[in-house]
Amino acid sequence: MDGSNPVSRRSLLHGMGAFGALAYLPFLQACKGGSKEGAAGAAAEPVADVWARYKGTTINFISENTPPSAAIAANLKPFEDLTGIKVNISQMELTKLVEKVSLDFSSGQAGFHVIYADPYQVLAPFSEGLVDLSKFLDKKDSVPALENGLSDFISTQLDAGGRFLDRQKLYALPYDTPTMIWHYRADLFEKHKDKMAHDLGFDATPSIQLTWEQYYAIARWFDKNAKSEIPYGTGHQAKQHDALMCDFSNVLWAYGGDYFQAGPELGLTGTKKPGKSTLSSNEAIAAAEYYNKLLKLAHPGSRTWDWDGVASAFQAGQIAMCPNWHEFAASNEKALPGKVGYAPLPKGPKRSANMWGGTGVGINANASDKEQAAAWLFINWATSPATQFMTLASEKGGGTPTRHSVYARPEVEAAKKRPSQLPNILAAEAVSEAWKPENIGLRPKVATWNQLDTILFTQVSRMLAGELKPDEAMRSSAEKFDVVNKV
Amino acid sequence: MKRAIPSFEMRMMLPALLVLASLSLIPFVTLIVMSFSHVKLMGGIRFENAGLENWHRLLEDADVRSSWVTSLVYFALTLGIEMALGIVFALVLHRVVRGRNLLLALAIVPMFMAPIVVGLLGRFLTDSTLGLYAWALRILGFEGDLLAGKTSALFTVIGMDVWEWTPLVALVTFAGLSAVPAPLVEAAAVDGAGYFQTLRYIVFPQIRQVLLVALLVRAMDAIRFFDIITITTNGGPADATKIIPVRLYETAFRFRELGYASVIGILMLAFSILMANAFVRVLGEKGLTR
Repeated sequence: MDGSNPVSRRSLLHGMGAFGALAYLPFLQACKGGSKEGAAGAAAEPVADVWARYKGTTINFISENTPPSAAIAANLKPFEDLTGIKVNISQMELTKLVEKVSLDFSSGQAGFHVIYADPYQVLAPFSEGLVDLSKFLDKKDSVPALENGLSDFISTQLDAGGRFLDRQKLYALPYDTPTMIWHYRADLFEKHKDKMAHDLGFDATPSIQLTWEQYYAIARWFDKNAKSEIPYGTGHQAKQHDALMCDFSNVLWAYGGDYFQAGPELGLTGTKKPGKSTLSSNEAIAAAEYYNKLLKLAHPGSRTWDWDGVASAFQAGQIAMCPNWHEFAASNEKALPGKVGYAPLPKGPKRSANMWGGTGVGINANASDKEQAAAWLFINWATSPATQFMTLASEKGGGTPTRHSVYARPEVEAAKKRPSQLPNILAAEAVSEAWKPENIGLRPKVATWNQLDTILFTQVSRMLAGELKPDEAMRSSAEKFDVVNKV
Repeated sequence: MKRAIPSFEMRMMLPALLVLASLSLIPFVTLIVMSFSHVKLMGGIRFENAGLENWHRLLEDADVRSSWVTSLVYFALTLGIEMALGIVFALVLHRVVRGRNLLLALAIVPMFMAPIVVGLLGRFLTDSTLGLYAWALRILGFEGDLLAGKTSALFTVIGMDVWEWTPLVALVTFAGLSAVPAPLVEAAAVDGAGYFQTLRYIVFPQIRQVLLVALLVRAMDAIRFFDIITITTNGGPADATKIIPVRLYETAFRFRELGYASVIGILMLAFSILMANAFVRVLGEKGLTR
């Protein structure tokens, strides 16, 4: 360390802890220029004391089984060494998580102190059960401040993943940020580029400039012309499940439809009174008609797949392209090294819409003051730039950082091209385009979302099964939405 | 006036009865109360009086009605197929002399698996990308996905349950067959009775009570079938496999409408009791349970 390249004691502890092994040393060196607040903290000296103040406390973290949590669970020792806090992590499927969190809140106890707060299924219905984190942000003398401050988080995601109703309150720190984009077999698109352009009359290389109708034409082209190389052109996550709502919403928004009149605004701070549903609009019906047509062409397994299923099919060489979460880039690269490309989803008559599925981590308000402070240390550490970088590089699958500073690192920038040490970053350019305000797809954040989600994916599933026509599916969804929301 | 003192036996049984009461009566009474309440979860459970609202809602809920229809179809098919296959398998096994124990051991393996594992295994085997069954069906000309069609999905989850629990029926039936007195069967043979006549007039009357036990056990299980559907179809496609326990779970734990879920739960309980009584009565009228 020298004066020209200062590094705080906290940053060093963070970095050492997070990377934990010599293999990460090159990245650690790159971190040294990092945090301004961290450097200030070093001058104040008691930084380590602040981190160790709640030594001996045990906290429980409940999380969906996502790559960042798997990576953190495998690398907890640095945090425990730094703070003396024992962390137990329970990972499970999101539906089970919602059930357990709901029971925990209703018990008035805090079986789980740190909560993976899905904005729609946990934050919106249970915001009263979460601590307003502002109290820790203001208490810089007794608990460590956030490295680089809140402004380091991508602002749309801070609002969508951390706030509900009141912009002055913050219930969760952005923890992961999977986003739906277009995954495609770059090798096949490259191989057939000229023939596809000749047959289809346009350059079929996936990009935001292509339309959903062109996506359909490309899928049909693969079905007719490349069956020996790839069984189906497209595959979708169309099981009667939350995944179906995600897949359909991309098309819904692209065609100009939406769940409620207030549209994307509801995705940021949410509301308790969303008003009448607009799912019966002509745009929503047009979207449903297109989606129904597309799914008739898709791999027949699509109606049984959620996001994992469609990712497995893609990686098994069953489909040439699909919309899916960008966090699958790491496993795609393992299964099909160098063969997968990424682009924002196609546009419809209105825009390109890319479903954002990020989540924050919050603190259970039923926890004691000591547990809450210990939990703050954990979520502060878990969302810090060094830890996010560690999860990104983890063998456990790769995280999806929520901070500008992580994406600004030179080694992250370099990883956008193959060979990449950070395969999730191969999708970064497409994701960065998808995150633009005009392209991001935000679900409405309302307390009744679990019911609305179920209504939508059930009615769309009925449509795909031929039980309802597209207009009937949309109208019945809208009617049921209004019953649930009592409007 | 003489005070009635509980008998010695009653006093001995009292602790166990109290435990039983606390485990069954208190939850049951709570369930009834919840069915007339709006249950608030945040900040500790609170009940707010809802009058007959939850019960009234049930009458208008077409989705729950549809789940009951699916449940009844599922219940009848599962129970029917498991009983038929189980009895046939036990009869075959009963006639096998060499290797019978090995066959029996192999046959009962599925019932030692957790239902969630059976669901995962079934999903894997029927997966249209890499499933063995899907591959076999493709060779036979079926290009679709078993869990993607409404009818095929229902039959597939029924098949998984049948695969797991038919061995139980077979095992119970086999135990009953082993207890049929050999002289009775021999006497029937001497009198010239054929195989099916012997089964009808000698063997089945002897094993009826055993069959009733198997029927009741499987019926109770079939009513609360949940795991395999949750892990495979999540109630879809198009609600084709959303039987009433899945609907109950969704209402209680996904929508957090515990008052309404209690109403659905009470109806499930009533249905279980009615079915159990019906089985006992029908077989009892024929002298089977005496």
